[in-house]
Amino acid sequence: MIYSFYFKLFQLSWKSLKSNIFRSFLTTLGIMIGAATIIIVVALGEGAKQDIAAQYSNMSVTTILVNGPSTEGSKSKLSVDDIPVISAIPAVADVVPMLTGKVNISTTENTASFNVVGTFPNFSSVANLTYSKGGFFEQVDDDDHTKVVVLGATVAEEIYGSRTPDVIGQSIILGKKEFEIVGIADYKGGAFGPITIDEAVFTPYSSSYRYVLGKNGKFSFNINAKNVDLLEDAMLSLTKVLREEHKLGATTPDDFKLKDMGATVASAQSSSQTMAILLGAVGFIVLLVGGIGIMNIMYVTVSERTKEIGIRKAIGAKDHHVLTQFLFEAFILTAVGYLVGTAASVVIYYVLLSFGIKVVFVGWSLLLSLIITFTVGMFFGYYPAKKAAALDPIDALRYE
Amino acid sequence: MISLSSIKKSYFIKNTEFPILKGIDLSVKNGEFIALMGPSGSGKSTLLNIIGCLDKPTHGEYLIDKKLVSNLSNDELADVRNTYIGFIFQNFNLIPTLSTLDNVALPSFYNGNVDYKKAKELLDLVGLSDRLDNKPNELSGGQRQRVAIARSLINDPAFILADEPTGNLDSKTGADIMKLIVSLKKDFGKTILMVTHDSHLAKLTDRVIYLKDGYITNKKSI
Repeated sequence: MIYSFYFKLFQLSWKSLKSNIFRSFLTTLGIMIGAATIIIVVALGEGAKQDIAAQYSNMSVTTILVNGPSTEGSKSKLSVDDIPVISAIPAVADVVPMLTGKVNISTTENTASFNVVGTFPNFSSVANLTYSKGGFFEQVDDDDHTKVVVLGATVAEEIYGSRTPDVIGQSIILGKKEFEIVGIADYKGGAFGPITIDEAVFTPYSSSYRYVLGKNGKFSFNINAKNVDLLEDAMLSLTKVLREEHKLGATTPDDFKLKDMGATVASAQSSSQTMAILLGAVGFIVLLVGGIGIMNIMYVTVSERTKEIGIRKAIGAKDHHVLTQFLFEAFILTAVGYLVGTAASVVIYYVLLSFGIKVVFVGWSLLLSLIITFTVGMFFGYYPAKKAAALDPIDALRYE
Repeated sequence: MISLSSIKKSYFIKNTEFPILKGIDLSVKNGEFIALMGPSGSGKSTLLNIIGCLDKPTHGEYLIDKKLVSNLSNDELADVRNTYIGFIFQNFNLIPTLSTLDNVALPSFYNGNVDYKKAKELLDLVGLSDRLDNKPNELSGGQRQRVAIARSLINDPAFILADEPTGNLDSKTGADIMKLIVSLKKDFGKTILMVTHDSHLAKLTDRVIYLKDGYITNKKSI
């Protein structure tokens, strides 16, 4: 009986909203936009977070990048000759040299421009490479300047039309020289120091210097400290030994640059978080405005329906009946706003995806949006409802 | 049925007392049809509000069915209005967003016994069984008053309060509505109190009460 009574009251509220459908729509528009904004903002934030995570997935927080300074004219003495002194630093776990440069990579059928990376065999283990075909080259290849090459997955796809082509033993031209393919790396995603692994080919350092890049290659080190606590120590020692090795005078500036990847990752993450908070604030403000919209219209509704409230009270409605009816109306407006907003956010989600914007749907954003939407909607719906319920039946009946 | 003894009602504006009803004694027997007449400013509306449990007297006792109602809370008064009293207003007072059927059934929501079957029967009784789904603005004045009469009966109240029920109708429609109201007493045994300015209508009742300057007088003074 009580159930059917409230169900009936709910239906009455629904009828009342339906009788002025356009105004009901305008009332709930703010709630719709707010609900959709929150869901999309969370998806954008999560997308950015995953993007950053993927980009730096091959980097550890113990990584230090060392490269030549960007200032023009200063020639860097950074080279493989520095490796022994760097390796001698107790805080350093491993050091990988990289000589990189863009060259044309071609077969008889295809040509494409990618980074050639001349490096040492330990690159494979430091970058955690795995292979769909073949494997990485060995120390002997570097010693003998062998013309062998390992292809990144994207390079293979671009040139052979597959990420895992059967081309081990075949030859490919880097710049002008013919190299033999010894391995195809699995798709990895993300960057390693200055390069994207999937979009690069790897040859022994000596071969890349001698046959492909020469002095045009950019030289850098990818160094890992033994652990995070030793990072600071490793960086100080690096500066010291490199200055000594390069024989720099006390007043000469460094001819190399150290970049601490942990700090880079952290700052990228924190800037994406700041962005997410900003967007979240926008979503909240939209909802707040939406809530004020509800309150505004409900107020108008209460004055407009004063007479109706008077009639209802005269024929036996108690204060809480009127209150419940108006709260039901606020509830319906909020619920419809939330559902339509959520549906809209799905559409927006796929539109964003189709524009190549990284968005990742997160389940809890639905709940978050639900909680905030209903808090705002019911909060702003309550006051006008309370006012409606408190009207004096005689005054309300007399109202024209 | 109802009994008022030394009912007084005053309004206070800035601590100044404005007495409206200065001591009303009135009792109405079961099944009686009473006309309440009086010039404007005589306190007619105020008395009607008190009898209709929309307002509380400043002094005095008011009993319906031997139950004291003059000191009830607002929610208790709402219950009394819902159960004991059927209202018929001069300007019909239907809810414009609801259909005829919903309007008639509405008082039955508020006591928890939603009764659409009875609402349909009552609309049939007042001759509007083909208008169940129409909104009030799709009906003529006479039809709207018929809906209001059907609504006043839904909770089967013993007592009907009619406030100038034909005041907004032309004389022919008014006469039809009056027939219907008279039949409420004759066929249903309702006790009726009707406010009117029309002495011809007053003649249809069992007894006429005149109100003047806050008192009931025996003299016809209109």
